[in-house]
Amino acid sequence: MRKNLFVLTIFLSLLVPMSLQAEEVRVTAAVNKRAVTVGEEVRLSIRVTGQSMNLQAPRLPKLDGIDTYYTGRASHITFINGVSTSNVEFSYTLIPQRPGNYHLNAIEVSVGPKVFQTEPIAIDVTGSQAPSAVPAAAVNSQQPMPSSMPQNVPQEPPVVSSGGDNNIFVQAWVDRRSVYQNEQLLLTYSLFTRYDTRYEGFEKEAETSGFWIEEFPMEREIERETVQVNGRRFVKADVKKLALFPTSPGSYTIQPGSLKVSIREEPQGASAFDEFFSDSFFTGGSFFARRQNRLLNPPPIQLTVKPLPDEGKPEGFQGAVGSFRLTASLDKDKVKQSEPVTLKLVIEGEGNIETINRPKLPTLTGFKTYDADTNAKLFKTGNVIGGTKSFEIVFIPKEEGSAFIPPLEFSYFDPRKAAYVTLRTPNFPITVEHSDQSFQMPEELTGKEMFQKNVKLEAKDIRYIQERVSESSALFDRIYRGFAWGDLFLLVVFAALWLKDRQERLFSKDEGLRRRKMARAVASANMRKLKKRSSSSKPEDVGLFFEELERAMTQYIADKWNLSAYGVTRQSLEEVLANHFGPEDPHLKDVLELYSLCDESRFGKGSIPQASKKVGMRIFQETVNRIERMKR
Amino acid sequence: MKWLCGLVLGVLCAVSVASAAVSEKSSGFQDANTSYRTGDYAKAASLYEDLIRKEPSVAVYYYDLGNADVRLGKLSAAILNYEKSLILDPRNEDVRRNLSHARDLLEYRVEDSRNWYLKATDAVLRYMTQREAVLGVLAAVFVFLLSGIIHFLSGRGLFWNAWRKGVFVLLLLAGLVAFGKHVQRDLIRDAIVMQKECEARYGPSEHDQVAFRMGEGIKVFVMDRREDWSRVLLTNGESGWVKNAEIAEVAI
Repeated sequence: MRKNLFVLTIFLSLLVPMSLQAEEVRVTAAVNKRAVTVGEEVRLSIRVTGQSMNLQAPRLPKLDGIDTYYTGRASHITFINGVSTSNVEFSYTLIPQRPGNYHLNAIEVSVGPKVFQTEPIAIDVTGSQAPSAVPAAAVNSQQPMPSSMPQNVPQEPPVVSSGGDNNIFVQAWVDRRSVYQNEQLLLTYSLFTRYDTRYEGFEKEAETSGFWIEEFPMEREIERETVQVNGRRFVKADVKKLALFPTSPGSYTIQPGSLKVSIREEPQGASAFDEFFSDSFFTGGSFFARRQNRLLNPPPIQLTVKPLPDEGKPEGFQGAVGSFRLTASLDKDKVKQSEPVTLKLVIEGEGNIETINRPKLPTLTGFKTYDADTNAKLFKTGNVIGGTKSFEIVFIPKEEGSAFIPPLEFSYFDPRKAAYVTLRTPNFPITVEHSDQSFQMPEELTGKEMFQKNVKLEAKDIRYIQERVSESSALFDRIYRGFAWGDLFLLVVFAALWLKDRQERLFSKDEGLRRRKMARAVASANMRKLKKRSSSSKPEDVGLFFEELERAMTQYIADKWNLSAYGVTRQSLEEVLANHFGPEDPHLKDVLELYSLCDESRFGKGSIPQASKKVGMRIFQETVNRIERMKR
Repeated sequence: MKWLCGLVLGVLCAVSVASAAVSEKSSGFQDANTSYRTGDYAKAASLYEDLIRKEPSVAVYYYDLGNADVRLGKLSAAILNYEKSLILDPRNEDVRRNLSHARDLLEYRVEDSRNWYLKATDAVLRYMTQREAVLGVLAAVFVFLLSGIIHFLSGRGLFWNAWRKGVFVLLLLAGLVAFGKHVQRDLIRDAIVMQKECEARYGPSEHDQVAFRMGEGIKVFVMDRREDWSRVLLTNGESGWVKNAEIAEVAI
């Protein structure tokens, strides 16, 4: 179990860096309130934070019972440690139509090739009807926006659907068929109907690859008008508007997708024409009536995107198309050496403001420059997309004296004039006072607004040769040899101790075996003692010698045949030896003679010659050898 | 007294001969480094080769020779020497970086489509020398034997208690690693393609069809060796027979 836990821990720790990598982009969704009454507005914000990126507004999943309106986006880019961090917030207004507990499922946001999901959000809608609120359908629409682009573009004459039912059809149309690259194009979906009709949303979104898209927020109450088509009266409503910015020149075919509508099944008489449209069209007034769903497929749209002309293209042109204004301001005109001064550039106007890049800085020798902050706000007024984008650039003068921040140029292509326009900031003179302080990051700017320049690898090459031979290999050799010899020694000791231990275990089970196995060793020890004693010529030592010789001989024979060393008699010894040697064996006689000699020494003190000791020792030795050979 | 004088003289002679040899080696190394520093890479390479012949188990010599080879444009020789240096000093970051750089300069590259566990095992084993793997086993054996001896001498408790079981498992793991290293170094032998263009065939003869072509510096694993041909395996799983003269085994 522990082992498994260990393996799991290692595995999870290996996964951590991968998950960190995946979290470079964070997508969150939040609502300003989770409990509302029917008709009360809820503001939903989807925030995408990460490295600088281009994003399309995410599409909300269908919510039965809640009307949703896209109300715009705001973005903020910050440079920290050389990495630009983008913070884009998409806003939506949700207006519940019925009480209940709603779950806004995970919203998918595409960031580059990856798709991120927000957490689901629950909204509790209670039954009491709130006062009718005007949806924030066009956030920022109150802001002053210069709008010189045509607000109402002429619509092409509608073509009645060739499908089976010519009482309802949808027309997708663009405000112009030929535009410049990155110039705004308005795609409008107009629904024409003679039924009691409710717009249910898009079954299949338009295929608009090759275009940067901004969706216009629609009013809660979709405006409608009565029009004549082929001599028949229809109610017309623009249900969706998209601003498209083509990213590259060429011929394009836009597949407008499929719209879903539901119509009341009961046939309506022409007399009721005005009445039911005024009551039920897009309002859900006939909600409980039996309704039939219809899919409406507008025909594809062909258009041509012209490349921007090369003629007159300014050097600093970075792709901006539209109509813009440039303003610049400096936060101070008198600074000390190494003190930052911030230039703020604001570009505002009509066009794809998100894709506008900061004007290029000329090479400045007397300054260190840093990008500090970028802010963008997108406005949608009428049928025009525009906004403001501001850039903050920090200049840190290196030398004292008079200096100036040179003009920065911003160029864009004006499609109405079909010409490039270049805007310039003024020349900002500044006075730099002497300061003894050496350059360092201003404390108030470190980490947050300023970034330290990254150390970058400028070339790849091999690392240099090593000019010293490491001595660690000699130490390693000594350790290696030490362990090898140590192991050998320990192995010998271990084997000896193991064998001894094994023997002890066996002997503890069988005492006779121990005596048999140890008999020779005991006899040898006794023999060594006897040899020492035999050198003495004192008469009392002779007696002791033979006494010990007899005891040693008896003990050896008793050990060998597991006889009691204390209870053994001379007769029993003779019988044992006779059984093993044979009764006529000459050595048996020698042994018996030895015992007689021992008896004699015991009773006839001092009468035994010194030479008999040698005879006694020889007989003992031979007896031991003979018996050991027999055993083998 | 005479023999004592002789002994002292002998020791002094041995010490002076040894120190002379050391200073000669050191001066050879300095000469090689100086040649490299001054841009005489051919001479530096030749001096490093001399040093390697005299002392083949010094990783730095192979590394420096590899650098000289890179400067001389001999990428396959450089890769071979870096690989040899890694055998002796596998965790040397400089060698790894330069080997990677040399590989980046090659014309050919081979995808590594081995299973993740093979890659991981290979990477782990390449992080140690064979002697270090064996040292691990020796250390584990040492601890195990010492623990056993203490047990027998103290005569207390069970032999296979938790501690000794743990040490034994450690010993087995160390043995497994050492075995893996043995397989990596001695059974699956690394080799480097030395020819500018090398043809791998379906069989060990010129009559066999060409299976694939490789460029110099590509690392292969020698799976089988005949008199003139070797069967090599690439990390992308392809295998073929190449002439022995066209590859060089990464062996010290």
